[in-house]
Amino acid sequence: MTFLDDSKNNKHVDTLEENYKISTGGNWNVFFKRLIKKKLGMISLIIIIVMYSAGIFAPIIAPYSYTEQNLERSLEGPSQDHWLGTDRLGRDMYSRVLYSIRTTLIVTFAVIVSGSLILGTALGLIAGYRGGTTDTIIMRIGDVFASLPGLPLLILVNAALSPKIDQISIWIDSNTFINDFQASGAASYITIFFALSLFSWVSSARLIRSQILSLREKDFIMAARSIGMKQKRIIFRHLLPNISNLLILLISSSLGAIAGSEIVLTWFGVGVQPPAASFGQMLYAGSGTRTFQTYPHLLLVPAFFVTLLMFAFNILGDALNDVLRRD
Amino acid sequence: MNSKKFFALLLTILTVLVGIVFGLTLLLRITNQQPVENIQNIGSEPASILKLAGSEPNTLDPHLMGDANSAQYASEIYGGLVTITPALEINLDLAESLDISEDGLVYRFKLRENIFFHSGRKVTADDIKWSFERAASPELNSNTSLTYLADIIGFKEKRFGLASSISGITVIDKSTIEITIDSPKAYFLAKLSYPTAFVLDYQQIEANPRNWTRKPNGTGPYKIKEWRLSEKIILESNSSYHLGVPNIQMVEYQLSGGSVLTRFENGEVDVAYISTSDIDRVLDPNEKLNKLYKQSTSFTTSYIGLNINQAPFDDVNVRKAFASAIDIKKVTDLTFKGMTPQATGILPPGMFGYDSSIKTYSFNPEKAREYLSRSKYGSAENLPTIVFSDIGAGAEGSTDIQAYVEQWKTNLGVNVNIRQTDAASFFADLDLKKMQMYSIGWILDYPDPENILDLKFHSQSAENNENYSNFEVDDLLEKARIETDSLKRVEYYQEAERMIVRDVPWIPTYFSVTHYVVSDRLKNWLEPSIIIPRLRFASLQEK
Amino acid sequence: MLVYTIKRLLWIPFIILVVTFFTFLIGRLGPGDPVSVAAGQIRNPILLEQVKIEKGLDKPILIQYFKWLSSAAKGDFGESYIYQGYSISELIFPKMWISAQLGMLALLVVFGLGIPLGLMAASLHNTWIDPFIVSLLLFFRAIPVIVIIPPLLWLFAVHWSLLPVGGWEGGIFDIYWLYEVIAIPILNPHVYLPVFALSIGGFGGVARLVRITALEIKNEAYITTAKSKGLSDTKVMLGHILPNSLLPLVTVIGFALVGILEGAFFVEVLLGIPGIGRFTFEAVKSRDYDVILAMTAILSTVFIIINLIVELLYTKIDPRIQLDEGIDG
Repeated sequence: MTFLDDSKNNKHVDTLEENYKISTGGNWNVFFKRLIKKKLGMISLIIIIVMYSAGIFAPIIAPYSYTEQNLERSLEGPSQDHWLGTDRLGRDMYSRVLYSIRTTLIVTFAVIVSGSLILGTALGLIAGYRGGTTDTIIMRIGDVFASLPGLPLLILVNAALSPKIDQISIWIDSNTFINDFQASGAASYITIFFALSLFSWVSSARLIRSQILSLREKDFIMAARSIGMKQKRIIFRHLLPNISNLLILLISSSLGAIAGSEIVLTWFGVGVQPPAASFGQMLYAGSGTRTFQTYPHLLLVPAFFVTLLMFAFNILGDALNDVLRRD
Repeated sequence: MNSKKFFALLLTILTVLVGIVFGLTLLLRITNQQPVENIQNIGSEPASILKLAGSEPNTLDPHLMGDANSAQYASEIYGGLVTITPALEINLDLAESLDISEDGLVYRFKLRENIFFHSGRKVTADDIKWSFERAASPELNSNTSLTYLADIIGFKEKRFGLASSISGITVIDKSTIEITIDSPKAYFLAKLSYPTAFVLDYQQIEANPRNWTRKPNGTGPYKIKEWRLSEKIILESNSSYHLGVPNIQMVEYQLSGGSVLTRFENGEVDVAYISTSDIDRVLDPNEKLNKLYKQSTSFTTSYIGLNINQAPFDDVNVRKAFASAIDIKKVTDLTFKGMTPQATGILPPGMFGYDSSIKTYSFNPEKAREYLSRSKYGSAENLPTIVFSDIGAGAEGSTDIQAYVEQWKTNLGVNVNIRQTDAASFFADLDLKKMQMYSIGWILDYPDPENILDLKFHSQSAENNENYSNFEVDDLLEKARIETDSLKRVEYYQEAERMIVRDVPWIPTYFSVTHYVVSDRLKNWLEPSIIIPRLRFASLQEK
Repeated sequence: MLVYTIKRLLWIPFIILVVTFFTFLIGRLGPGDPVSVAAGQIRNPILLEQVKIEKGLDKPILIQYFKWLSSAAKGDFGESYIYQGYSISELIFPKMWISAQLGMLALLVVFGLGIPLGLMAASLHNTWIDPFIVSLLLFFRAIPVIVIIPPLLWLFAVHWSLLPVGGWEGGIFDIYWLYEVIAIPILNPHVYLPVFALSIGGFGGVARLVRITALEIKNEAYITTAKSKGLSDTKVMLGHILPNSLLPLVTVIGFALVGILEGAFFVEVLLGIPGIGRFTFEAVKSRDYDVILAMTAILSTVFIIINLIVELLYTKIDPRIQLDEGIDG
């Protein structure tokens, strides 16, 4: 249900974007000062930063490789050698947690860049600047995505897609110079980026479009236009810098939803593929009733980190929304 | 905002919403389901109910089924000419007597007088012929019928639509039927115990071709009283069963629900299987469960198949290297906690023809590397990309396969990629012999070595998924088919098995042992090595 | 308003068309061969050709799609691959009924528990209870369903043996349908765990929203006026604050339903309840494309309609929101 709430958050932003006033559009300082005042929000930010850096430096920090097996020592509880115990294959849980954070980081980052930033900005710009039919078509497609049940649909679409992706990656291995494409598991990441991006561009596109619509009427844009500046130049020199901060904050508030979606997709077996580490896989491996009874650490370890991460994402999202909505 | 107005609106909307959903579902329920008998009164009956955890059968059409779960239900509901007893002997079921001709080609069955369908209609020889022809009909498009019944003359022709009836089956009179097969095969009778040869009621099927499996009319010891999709299947004993009326009147399979062992401990089911998570606790003599714990072997061999037509497994030395580089014993002991014994050959122990002196390649990393260097590829770097296919779509791959892949990496320096696929495309690829290596198991259908050695390793067999071809092995298997002296037959099979093990088309991994607990009140519960009707032997003892 | 409603209604078929077409395309095109799946193990080329023609797989993809669409519109989604002998619609609707019973109860709990909690927190704003409730809600929001079920199950079913270990035994009293609709879901011990798990995140959201709006209203002028007139706190709370803080809840109904549906996937899988979530999970696991396709179509339809109703409802209640803004503005 967490994941629901995040997507709700996300959607909530959708309905409220129109309320963001352009007056604060470029005022980074105002936002930042307000954010600093949110104690819980700042704590969450620090938690996220700490966990993300742990993910980035996982290869350095992790005492073991996430694939390293030691069958003699499987299913052990926490000990000095294995701080958080080991899983069924005797892999170090602590190292797997670090690498799972890394997976979360990669997925959130990639989806935000590809979906919200590139796709969202581009479509928002086109819609806002061109107007007319182009605008209608893009925004209506956005409405389609906004009104669909995101996560269940992602699971279904990914399930239909993944065998095909699989076959394509085997084809790439045997027919091109790339050899370990299948083994690298890159294909499953690409599927996730693609699927999540489909649903994540809408809010940023709507924001950009609405800002452009109101900016167009602004004095300085009018002035720029009257001295004969080109459209492109107006967009990139004046419009984008004006709204980039707003966009970053808006996007950050949807981090939790993206991270949660990856975990759920993997849990369903349509996300990141083994042996890659993911919280979805760890939770799945530990979630049997009898497994939990006998080896509770298999579930409790990933559960703690996921809950902490979701907690931080939720509160940060709330704080950012508050900051943005204040006007 | 006017709060009263709002409230009224909110209430109306909610009521309408709830009303629509309830109304729609009710409507669907009324239109979709036949009226169900009120089963409340079952509880008030004196006879007690055996409660088992089960899973939904894929189908209850015995001519279509190919999975063990469905076959378990079918074996209780239907019957054929012959059946297999708990002692794994072939016994007559619908037939009263059997005459086999001198040349071993013609089987003449005389039917019993007291055989009836659950509906009460008497079973005749025509019913049996009709059932065989249904199993062979191209319209039914059964996946399994050719494997089990193609020995009957004319069966293949009918299956491929070249003939309108099976020429090898003749109805002599109302209670006599004759089946002619293509060559004298000692195991043919055993094949008739498989669900593809079960007898069905043509009246029911013709009257209701789409939905008859929901309450099928068979000849078995139990009949379906109720099947609530995904909830439960209730079987009721057939009070006129010709081989003896079952002791337990009512059997309930619970199709939904969580952990079976927990339900067992809460008294919700009578039998539960033990998983690796619980085995330590069950084996502890201080635990209550320990006294109820039992185990039995099942005739199943799990293996890693190596496709001989695909590089790099076209080289026997690569196959030997892969077989010697994995420590199966360690995996069974540590990952499976010793619950599944390591497979040492192809035939499981206890099987007719099992020979303990046949040994697969043992774990030896040095030898493995030597084999690899002796192969035409020379070293790990020269091997092409290797993909290991495994059924599964879960978030986590099979534990043992992940362990083997790691061992190949450390002991041979070979990178093996795991590809998880769904069962449907796995079996399609298996048939097309497209996969390089894969893990799967073979559950024996009847206790004869032919069911595994001939079926899986004869170069002409459709089930030979590894493209294994060895003339000497083929020769031995063909000799064994028609050998009437059973001692000699066994020798042929053992010789063949020894050669197959040496050529490594399979890396046999595990034999199977069933670990289970049975409640105090359930007596004579059977966990046989193959699937046979077993419910009628059990009994319930009330305190 | 009417024009807008019609405009939106016209959108529905279009959206469903787009979504199902893409799913259809993914399922049918590409390397995975639907013929070999349909044909099973038979490798005889003549038979393969027969199966192909029989299932209409030799026709162009657009024709296949429209054929599927026209039968789907009549409620026929084809045959299930996993459950042979059953049509998909025969399987889906009874399972939907099970999920719907759980979902309705969960919705009741979400609002029934969320509203009082939110009001309580708001009315005790200056005591320790408010922050306590708020942090509790934050915790419930953050903890995923996948995480909460195994411990709950262990505690209630194994450790205390109070509740059954999942499973489903509903609708025994088919004849007394009224009884079934009203009493069975409540009296049935099988529903307690799933309903709790389903509503755990949702009621936090509702409570949070109620609390925030109630606090806002509390500071508004007319409340102060009412209080100064001598109305008791309880009366103010029930008569003024409560009705007004319920307004934003309308928007949440849609989201709560989405959440319950998403939760149903995990709850039903982990508790072994034969509802639509587990059915979908099984279909996903065995890549039963026709079921996946049917579920995509049904889910999209249901949600587009729910979203539309919520949106219309909201505009009806809050006239400040202008309808066309979201579309053409």
